[in-house]
Amino acid sequence: MTAQLDTSRADGAPQIVPRPAAVATGPILEGRTLTKSYPLGETTVDALRGVSLSVAAGEFVALMGPSGSGKSTLLQLLGGLDQPTSGEVILEGEVISQLSDDRATRLRRDRTGFVFQSFNLIPLLDVSENVALPFTIAGQDTSRGEIAERIRDVIELVDLTGKEHHKPDQLSAGEQQRVAVARALVTRPALLFADEPTGNLDYTTGTEILDALWRSCEERHQTIVLVTHDSKAAAYADRVLVVRDGTILDTIELGRRRDHDAATLIGRLAQLGL
Amino acid sequence: MGGLNALAWRGLRARPMRTGLTVAGVTLGVAVLFAGLATNAGIETAVDSAVATMVGRAELRVAAFGEDGLSQDTLATIAGTPGVAVVAPAFERRTYLGAEAFGPGDPLPPPVTIAGIDPAAEATLHDLTLRAGAALSGDGPNDALVNATLAREDALAVGDIIDLETIDAPVHLRIVGILAGDGPWAGGGGRALVVPLETAQAAFAADGLTRVDIGTASPAAVTDALESTLLDEPYVLSSPQDIGASMRASTGDFASTTALIGAIALFAGAFLIFNTLSMTVVERVRELGLLRAAGASRGQLTSYILVQATAIGIVGSLLGVVLGAALAAGIAAWVRTVGAVALGAPVVTVNDALAALAIGIVVTLAAAIEPARRAGRISPVEALKARLDLPTARRARLRWLIAVFALVGVAGMLILPRGADETAVVRAFLVYAVLLVAALVVPFILPATARIAGLPFSLLVRFEERLARASLLRDRSRAALTVGALTIGLAMIVALGGVGQHARNAASAWIADVVPGELVLTSIFPRGLDELEDVLVTPGVASVSPIGSFALAIDGVRTDAVAMVGGDIRNDGRLRFVLGGRELALAAIDAGGAMIVPSGVAARDGLELGKTVEATAADGSVLKLRVAGITERTLPGPAGEAVIVGWSDAEKLGVAGADAFAVRFVPSATAADRAELASVARSVALEPTALGRIEGAIGQALDRVFGLFDVLALVAVVVAALGIVNTLTMNVFERVREIGVLRAAGMTRRQVWRSVVVEAGITGLVGAICGVVAGLAVGALMVVLAGGRLEIATAVPWPAVVAALVLGVVLAMLAAAYPARLASGVSIVRAVGYE
Ligand SMILES: Nc1ncnc2c1ncn2[C@@H]1O[C@H](COP(=O)(O)OP(=O)(O)OP(=O)(O)O)[C@@H](O)[C@H]1O
Ligand SMILES: [Mg+2]
Repeated sequence: MTAQLDTSRADGAPQIVPRPAAVATGPILEGRTLTKSYPLGETTVDALRGVSLSVAAGEFVALMGPSGSGKSTLLQLLGGLDQPTSGEVILEGEVISQLSDDRATRLRRDRTGFVFQSFNLIPLLDVSENVALPFTIAGQDTSRGEIAERIRDVIELVDLTGKEHHKPDQLSAGEQQRVAVARALVTRPALLFADEPTGNLDYTTGTEILDALWRSCEERHQTIVLVTHDSKAAAYADRVLVVRDGTILDTIELGRRRDHDAATLIGRLAQLGL
Repeated sequence: MGGLNALAWRGLRARPMRTGLTVAGVTLGVAVLFAGLATNAGIETAVDSAVATMVGRAELRVAAFGEDGLSQDTLATIAGTPGVAVVAPAFERRTYLGAEAFGPGDPLPPPVTIAGIDPAAEATLHDLTLRAGAALSGDGPNDALVNATLAREDALAVGDIIDLETIDAPVHLRIVGILAGDGPWAGGGGRALVVPLETAQAAFAADGLTRVDIGTASPAAVTDALESTLLDEPYVLSSPQDIGASMRASTGDFASTTALIGAIALFAGAFLIFNTLSMTVVERVRELGLLRAAGASRGQLTSYILVQATAIGIVGSLLGVVLGAALAAGIAAWVRTVGAVALGAPVVTVNDALAALAIGIVVTLAAAIEPARRAGRISPVEALKARLDLPTARRARLRWLIAVFALVGVAGMLILPRGADETAVVRAFLVYAVLLVAALVVPFILPATARIAGLPFSLLVRFEERLARASLLRDRSRAALTVGALTIGLAMIVALGGVGQHARNAASAWIADVVPGELVLTSIFPRGLDELEDVLVTPGVASVSPIGSFALAIDGVRTDAVAMVGGDIRNDGRLRFVLGGRELALAAIDAGGAMIVPSGVAARDGLELGKTVEATAADGSVLKLRVAGITERTLPGPAGEAVIVGWSDAEKLGVAGADAFAVRFVPSATAADRAELASVARSVALEPTALGRIEGAIGQALDRVFGLFDVLALVAVVVAALGIVNTLTMNVFERVREIGVLRAAGMTRRQVWRSVVVEAGITGLVGAICGVVAGLAVGALMVVLAGGRLEIATAVPWPAVVAALVLGVVLAMLAAAYPARLASGVSIVRAVGYE
């Protein structure tokens, strides 16, 4: 158990702490002894058995592990998509694991971004409309001012300038995923969660997505939690958490690197028997 | 094969909501249809029994034409005609009983029909079943029978003495028996007093006969013989069939309208079935493709869907017949009378039930054929594709729509009530055609109309409206079918609103148009103007114009007629002339030898302006009448609109006096003057009725009938609303992932809920807009086909239009309750982890 456990805050009361601009200090996200059980007929499945972790602002963390180990479940709890059976999730100092649905929704809209393995886009909307979705949902005018500027900016970040008015079915699978990344980033969320964003893609296309994620982390200090099977993808991260049977088995510190070489990671994983 | 059928059953059970809704759709459609059948069978039975009581065992009836009635000579001629076995003469008049008990100015009691019969002869042709007492004997001149209604209303018992007001002194009659029913006098309030023929004739100082019933073994021969021997007096010779036919004619429109609405409800039901099964096919494309890959044949997949349809059809139709029988009982209680027929209990026959069942199942199967064939065409490869090719799907659907339209049309022909004439058939088909065109046009105008319909919603919830509209337009043919069913239902409501408004307007415009006064004094027996001196001198009265209604044989055809004073109409511009000079025509009828004909009768009997026709006068001589003018409308007679003749001709035709007097007041007349007139009128047995009251009574009767039609059309709208539930639910199922993504991107549950409700709202509004347009067209068409004027036909029935818009939107949004809850309950975790 090498995951960092932060015990500096004892009350755990929901409280919004303003995020210091682009300065990577202190944990931005914490999970405290998280468990999740799914009822399955007479018995229950324990998908998570007491996971604690903490993610610092600006950090790029990868969750790795075999199929069924509980990675997606953990990501869903951290992102406020689902509630833990026990334990707490603290995002920017606020306990988000027991929020009402409306507050959790607002949090998702304003403070977090998600990229899933597939089907991330609304087929009826074109690229820029899909990217603008969080603002549209909030009822904001996306056609001018700072918001329009941000939309242009993230589309440029994921290298899709010129394709703003393409519909999802006119894009390649990789381009679609990049639109999903742009949408997840457009609100400048405190955290970006990605669950196997490259799972459906070939190697080169997958690299485009990972490059985009890495750029946002490097250039904009975006905090990222990435779930992946693939050690080449995990090698982009600063730190890799190895999940197995609902617990965190080990933490592999890689540090910020430009080459994304997977050799060290593969070696460490081999030592763990993976 | 057996295995696949089991799978079909499981498929139905797996989606209980959708299956239930579809069954409900079939049930409601069949219920309306069967209710129509049972009601119409009830009307038939009522007509048959009314005819049976009226004519009894008589094979022929000779009815008098003029006021004087048939003479004793005529009776002798009839009795002497070879082949005639029995003759039963009767004399009928209407009067008031015990009028002296009422003070002057009190409202008059309901009148009574006095029927004078020959007890012995009558008994051979008519069963006068008694509830109490004894029958009339030949030797009790002051004995009387009362019928059930009169006995009940006036609390009369055997042994009571009643006073009969007559021309001279009152006659004292002793009640010897009470009839079990109302006998042949059920019409006209149903109150009847039966006395020996001589007593009745003596009481009214008359010697004519109202009718002579004939018992014979060879009616055809007797008819021929009478036509050559009865030449002296005008008369009508009719058989029980003729009488039944004339009663049935008055119910034909009602019967064909209920049948039409039933067919339309079923049509809306067919949309629902088709849409549901299509969804099943789309939803199960993968599964069906896998089955194909595993070796299932096309035929097996087709039968997979057809088995589901058959189950839905059988269950839905069975329930529909049960519900329809209940609905028919409600209809009978609500409408009470149709035309000249009092509606009894609905008649549920095995044949009708089987017909409704068969039609329900056949329509269900017809609706299933296209989706079933589409299921068969699914290839194993297609199982990998997400959705079907939309343009080909839509083409197939349009073909399907035409096929079902034809089928339902043919079904409609088969169940068309016996009383309906060809114009009713033509009308039904044209209405159908307009509705079909409306349903076919919907897919093409859907995007534009949806944009318009979305406007009010986008003002409130712009983003949700955008999503809702996009979701609606995603599968355009599905949306078109959903909207189409709603369009048809709402169009019927608007159309019936238009027809109802027209009928009411026509009724009131008609009366106000032709009656020369503000108040009508009605009499139950003919009066001369000279009997009205008291009325004429009442202060405030400007004029009194006599109106006499009678029947006329023009070139041998019975025609209703009224006698009026042309000069009285001339002054105030009443009667709209279509042809002929107004002044000249009115002067001509006062001068005699001329008549004014309503355009309907002119068209029916080929009476052109200036044509001269021959009418048989009371003394048997021939009276020539020239058509001096043709008007849009005249006064209503018992069988249709009446031709107008002057009083001089009317007297030659045997009209003894007026039965109504139109009173006009001077402008300065006070309320007291009017009250005084009413009291004076009643003292001379005249019942004053304001024109508004007459219009009101007509309006009420129309309201009842149109209220019923509206309820039936509403069922079609409800069926369409069930379709909306189905379609929205399907849309939500298909969009589960998308909803998950939206929720993950920060859309609240409430926003998701709203987007589905708004989708329903837009669907409803589009349906309502199309329905209103189609309904106005159908309504105008129905009015024009029924001979209405175009400017009335095109008047917009605003209340119905507003009702359709509100109903469409509200019902659709209610229909969204379940799917919207489903959508807002979508779990993000499950949605994004789908498959
Ligand atoms: N809704 C659910 N109901 C029951 N069990 C579930 C549910 N969701 C997940 N599980 C179980 O919880 C465990 C963890 O699942 P999870 O999806 O988190 O695994 P994972 O590590 O993401 O696997 P993969 O790499 O295959 O995506 C698995 O055993 C899974 O079967
Ligand atoms: Mg997973």
